[in-house]
Amino acid sequence: MRLFDGQRAWVIQRISAVLLLVLIVLAVLALPFASPLDFSAWRAFAGGALGGPLIALLFGALCAHAWVGLRDIVLDYIQPRGLRLAVLSLIAVVLLGVLVRVLLSLAAVALAT
Amino acid sequence: MRLNIYRFDPESGAPPRMQAYEVQPEAGDKKLLDLLMRLRVQDDSLSFRRSCREGVCGSDAMNINGRNGLACLTALDGLKEPVVLRPLPGFPVIRDLIVDMTQFFAHYHSIQPWLINDEPLPERERLQSPTERERLDGLYECILCACCSAFCPSYWWNPDKFIGPSGLLQAYRFIADSRDTASAERLDFLDDVYRLYRCRTIMNCTEVCPKGLSPSHAIERIRLALLRRSS
Amino acid sequence: MDKPPHRLPVFLNLAQIRFPIGAIASIAHRVSGVLLFIALPVLAALLDASLRSEADFASVRGLLSSPLPLVVAGMLAWALVHHVLAGIRHLLMDVGIGGELERARASARLVLFAAPALALLLLVWGLS
Repeated sequence: MRLFDGQRAWVIQRISAVLLLVLIVLAVLALPFASPLDFSAWRAFAGGALGGPLIALLFGALCAHAWVGLRDIVLDYIQPRGLRLAVLSLIAVVLLGVLVRVLLSLAAVALAT
Repeated sequence: MRLNIYRFDPESGAPPRMQAYEVQPEAGDKKLLDLLMRLRVQDDSLSFRRSCREGVCGSDAMNINGRNGLACLTALDGLKEPVVLRPLPGFPVIRDLIVDMTQFFAHYHSIQPWLINDEPLPERERLQSPTERERLDGLYECILCACCSAFCPSYWWNPDKFIGPSGLLQAYRFIADSRDTASAERLDFLDDVYRLYRCRTIMNCTEVCPKGLSPSHAIERIRLALLRRSS
Repeated sequence: MDKPPHRLPVFLNLAQIRFPIGAIASIAHRVSGVLLFIALPVLAALLDASLRSEADFASVRGLLSSPLPLVVAGMLAWALVHHVLAGIRHLLMDVGIGGELERARASARLVLFAAPALALLLLVWGLS
């Protein structure tokens, strides 16, 4: 179970890293201009044409990046095949769960607004 | 000088142990290897490899005070006492400081460390311009002592699958050679989660190379060559 | 050469190996990455709750501004800062900046020292 082999995994790790870096810089730059957040403003942002995709992109990049990194750790430290497969599956389930949950909550907000 | 040396005797069946030694350096003793040679007079059961005693053959690689190095290039001056000597980390120990390098050389052979060129042979030798020759600097000097691979955690965890810094530096030495025409096949072989991409660029290899080479840089160049090829 | 009769010992006692600064920065990169991975499902749950209802939003907000899990917050702040800084270091090395041993050592040292300092600043700023 490899899911992204050699170079592809390395490239995905770097691209997602750059993406996350850009998002972090954007967030830090936007911070001084943000008004104190209340529920309706936050919902409007997350359900909007800018916020929704940005949040989805953030979590997408986080999950892709986390997958490559954790897979590397497993390939290094866990050698028994069965255990390795079990841990990799657990990681995949957690990351997929995170992604689905975020997309569902974003979709719910977008549909309600 | 006080030394503490890893001892293992396969015939005894006993587990490895550390043995303390005390030996007086004499005039002219400059390197750790000089001291080890005196120790052998004191205790002829102590085993280690050595040959050229000047950093060319790469036989006397060992873990010296927690870092890999060649005994013949390690100056006695400034060595912290007791000098703790152990075999190369992660390698099977045959006896005392002598390790089994079979796997290490299997990786070396796997990268086909010879020039591959199917073009018709020229009348004389295959010529290289000075610039082309310069690209091999920092690569061809590797003496295969294994200091780097035996200091690389990625190699410790996957010694059977990761080629390791030494083998990868050698691989790049042939990729970079203008007389070799098999770069594409060499890169195909290396594009693998294990063979190349176990490297995390922590640079332990470059830290301990007794010849001052930079395997981490060579690996970086291989990754870039792969990237350039696929884009 | 004949195969040795039994399993040979291997010396690999990590406590007896002197790790260079780059290795220490790298293992910290791993540890921080795992911490951030553990925080990821929590982050997703917080996002979900904050968008659900006014009351849930308020409770998320209350949770984030309470100093109760200070140790957790500190660890996560360090993990985030270290992971980002060490990541930038590696990305720069990928494009050929700072790959020489001396500069790589210096940048590893810088990352290791700057991360806790910046994390502390982040924490103080977050609490105020």
